[in-house]
Amino acid sequence: MSVTSDSETTAEIGRRRLRKEDARLITGRNHYTDSMSRVGMLTLGMVRSPVAHAKITRLDVSAAKASPGVVDVLTGPDLADSQGSLPNAWPVTPDQKAPAHPAVAIDEVVFAGEIVAVVIARTAAQARDAIELVDVDYDDLPVVVDLEAAERDEELVHPDLGTNTSSVWVFDSASAGTGGDVQQAIADSDVVIERTLYQQRLIPSFMEPRSILVDPTGDRIEMWSATQIPHILRTMLSMTLGIPEGKLRVTAPDVGGGFGGKLEVTPEEVITVLAAQRTGKPCKYTETRSESLMGAHHGRAQVQRLKLSANKDGTVTGLDVRLLADMGAYLGLVGPGIPVLGAFMYNAIYKFPAYRFESKALFTDKVWTDAYRGAGRPEATFAIERMMDELAAELGMDPLEVRRKNWIKHDEFPFSTISGLEYDSGNYEAATDKALELFGYEELRAEQQRRRESNDPVQLGIGVSTYTEMCGLAPSRVLGSLDYGAGGWEYAQVRVLPTGHVEVVTGISPHGQGHETGFSQIVADRLGVPFDNVEILHGDTQVAQRGLDTYGSRSLTVGGMAVVAAADKVIAKAKVIAAHMLEASEDDIEFESGRFGVRGTDQGVALGDVALAAFAAHDLPDGIEASLDSDATFDPENFSFPHGSHLCAMEVDTETGQVTLRKYVCVDDIGTIINPLLVEGQVQGGLAQGIAQALFEEAVYDDAGTLVSGSFVDYLVPSAADLPSFITDTTTTPATSNVLGVKGVGEAGTIASTPAIVNGVLDAIRHLGVKDVRMPCSPSTVWAAIHDAGSGATAEAPNVQTARGDQS
Amino acid sequence: MELHHNFTVPSSVDDTWATFNDLELVAPCFPGATLTGVDGDEFTGTVKVKLGPISMVYSGSGKFTERDEGAHRAVIEASGKDKRGNGNAGATVTVQLAPDGDGTTVDVLTDMNVGGKPAQFGRGIIQSVSNKLMGKFVDCVKTKLPT
Repeated sequence: MSVTSDSETTAEIGRRRLRKEDARLITGRNHYTDSMSRVGMLTLGMVRSPVAHAKITRLDVSAAKASPGVVDVLTGPDLADSQGSLPNAWPVTPDQKAPAHPAVAIDEVVFAGEIVAVVIARTAAQARDAIELVDVDYDDLPVVVDLEAAERDEELVHPDLGTNTSSVWVFDSASAGTGGDVQQAIADSDVVIERTLYQQRLIPSFMEPRSILVDPTGDRIEMWSATQIPHILRTMLSMTLGIPEGKLRVTAPDVGGGFGGKLEVTPEEVITVLAAQRTGKPCKYTETRSESLMGAHHGRAQVQRLKLSANKDGTVTGLDVRLLADMGAYLGLVGPGIPVLGAFMYNAIYKFPAYRFESKALFTDKVWTDAYRGAGRPEATFAIERMMDELAAELGMDPLEVRRKNWIKHDEFPFSTISGLEYDSGNYEAATDKALELFGYEELRAEQQRRRESNDPVQLGIGVSTYTEMCGLAPSRVLGSLDYGAGGWEYAQVRVLPTGHVEVVTGISPHGQGHETGFSQIVADRLGVPFDNVEILHGDTQVAQRGLDTYGSRSLTVGGMAVVAAADKVIAKAKVIAAHMLEASEDDIEFESGRFGVRGTDQGVALGDVALAAFAAHDLPDGIEASLDSDATFDPENFSFPHGSHLCAMEVDTETGQVTLRKYVCVDDIGTIINPLLVEGQVQGGLAQGIAQALFEEAVYDDAGTLVSGSFVDYLVPSAADLPSFITDTTTTPATSNVLGVKGVGEAGTIASTPAIVNGVLDAIRHLGVKDVRMPCSPSTVWAAIHDAGSGATAEAPNVQTARGDQS
Repeated sequence: MELHHNFTVPSSVDDTWATFNDLELVAPCFPGATLTGVDGDEFTGTVKVKLGPISMVYSGSGKFTERDEGAHRAVIEASGKDKRGNGNAGATVTVQLAPDGDGTTVDVLTDMNVGGKPAQFGRGIIQSVSNKLMGKFVDCVKTKLPT
């Protein structure tokens, strides 16, 4: 049998392959958790606190228990002995303060949306009706909403901790030996730019709400969850609930988006397991969209106090960063690590001689924050890109000129940064030149000038953002040095079946990215088999017995490399068998396009033939095991560092404050491209998400701690109609830290676009005296910024813009 | 949140003032309201409100903090708690009467503070619901007024 030897002449890597997973997804033949059912299944409903901070003085579930179809109603006290505390896997400092985090509140609630009781009913409708019958009396306690107020410790979220500060994490280039002393640099410099920037709270807004199904009726507890992290979830649930890993199977079936929002061990997952154990029946919980907005973790939420020093010629001499990071009421799975990840990115693509970073993690009476697309790096990139523009404005330089002056030149790679990373490769010049060409920079600058001179009510601004990020999270030794609770390796298995078809098992767990397609392309090229003959299996702890799942643009750079390593092991083994079959020396065997040939002859066997021979095992070389499969665990030696240059043209109506994005160009360098179509999708989605932070989205809590942006009516997620057609392109400087040369693309658009947009908005109205405008740049906020600048109201404190006119 | 309502009734200022000060007469006109006790300037009661998908039964108390007969101006402060813990609500209602021909103009300014579930989900419809409730209240009050 010859399946593969002459089937493919075109390389799969680099090909615009349509996604193989889409056929089932767009025809409704998908496997979302909420579409699943089990015999005798019960449905859960959560009773959530409408108040932010209160003692529970009375909790009467009798009416709910008597409601039709209700099997049981569980309260915090009912579960106190069994629910444990939800895990935080990233204690960033040894003295980090962490409150116990019960899945169901026991006697006190600390944020609006916290679960206080669980209704278990036969149908979802019965559960919903019974929720309304649970009577709770709350005795209100003082509420901490504002981050700067939290820092002052006047009111405490957890009085027993004695403070709202969870941890203070510091990096100082002087003590780390990577650079100079920042205070000295600031004292010695010609120019010091000082700003306080605000990263508003965002809601990940995954398309599929979270859903969990737990079946305890077999030998094991089987769980399906709309999660990004089935493997981590299994380990954490085992540790939290004391269920042996072998007795718990976690499957992430089709998962409709995550953006970090499903990188969590959630109360709802713990509760569904406990409910299933108590009732002995399959239990399902699917959140409503409102529950998703108030009960699933949020992202960003930082106050950034920044000082950037420079010489008159624009050369940066130092950066001092002091962050307040809003943890919310509890610490999420990796929440405290998010600002710490950002610490390494404030120097971005630049050569800074001195740098200090300090992050204070604070508790507030809000849902906790955790990973959200980019996780720490968008916040850092925003801060430095805003500051570079402020420096340019201060010195009267072109914003791109300031960047050129400070960035790492192409011939300086590999480059050790002041935060201690080694950038392996990059070409900021090439990406920027290409972006400028696509953008038409000079023409737009000329138009800007014309509009200014004619005092046009609609002003034009040009926004610039150059960025890098660290993908491929992460070398395990680096995670260890940062006190993260686990490693950063990834697992893969490659199995060549007797028919020559290939099954690939990966420990990563996709949720919309198109991994089945991309990984098939890699394997098809590596093994020389047709794309369609490759099956990718994932997202099930029984199928992929090991893995660290999907986040931080690690799937391709780490997971893809594990697949390559496993495939290479298969080739090595097959080569021994092929040599035996061909009665040739191993040294004379060449592997090309799926065929093992004897050098200098036309003798050869296809990979499929070798697989069949290995399966039959009638005549294998001594010491060779039957079967043609292998597995590998890949631990990256370094991060990868995609980079890019983003340019946008913003129109700002100075009479109404309306901001319109007119043109957006980005050129990203993500190394080797496996599938340009997947890359474009990731970039476009990422841009929409990053632009949304700049212009539309904000999770708003009122003074009482009520999430008043608790529906998609109030939380403005943009649609296609709100965005122009993006002009996207790439340059390619392969990563040298992995053999594929890939860098990761999932977060690029999000990271780069937010500062580009805000820089563009400010560029349009800076001549009116505006030095900053808080995100989201809604019409009322922009209008107020222009108005305040014009009236001289901001002359005292130009860096603080507090107008939030559109929120009551 | 501030709500402003203004209507005219076909009665004299003095008659209207007297009617509005008779809580036991007027309170039942407010849709969903039940007065459970009156003691001088203080009162207790419950109000049932439906804001879109959310039903609330507030029970609480209130009092006249100002009752200026000469100026025809009254200020009532009230606060209540939803029976099922869905949140609190408080309001300061300022009523100002003024003669308008044979009738009286009633100006009602309500400074309302709503917390919990309705603050999260009902914010957008509080205005329209309160307008509707006020309309029903006025229609009812008109039937109680001497003409």
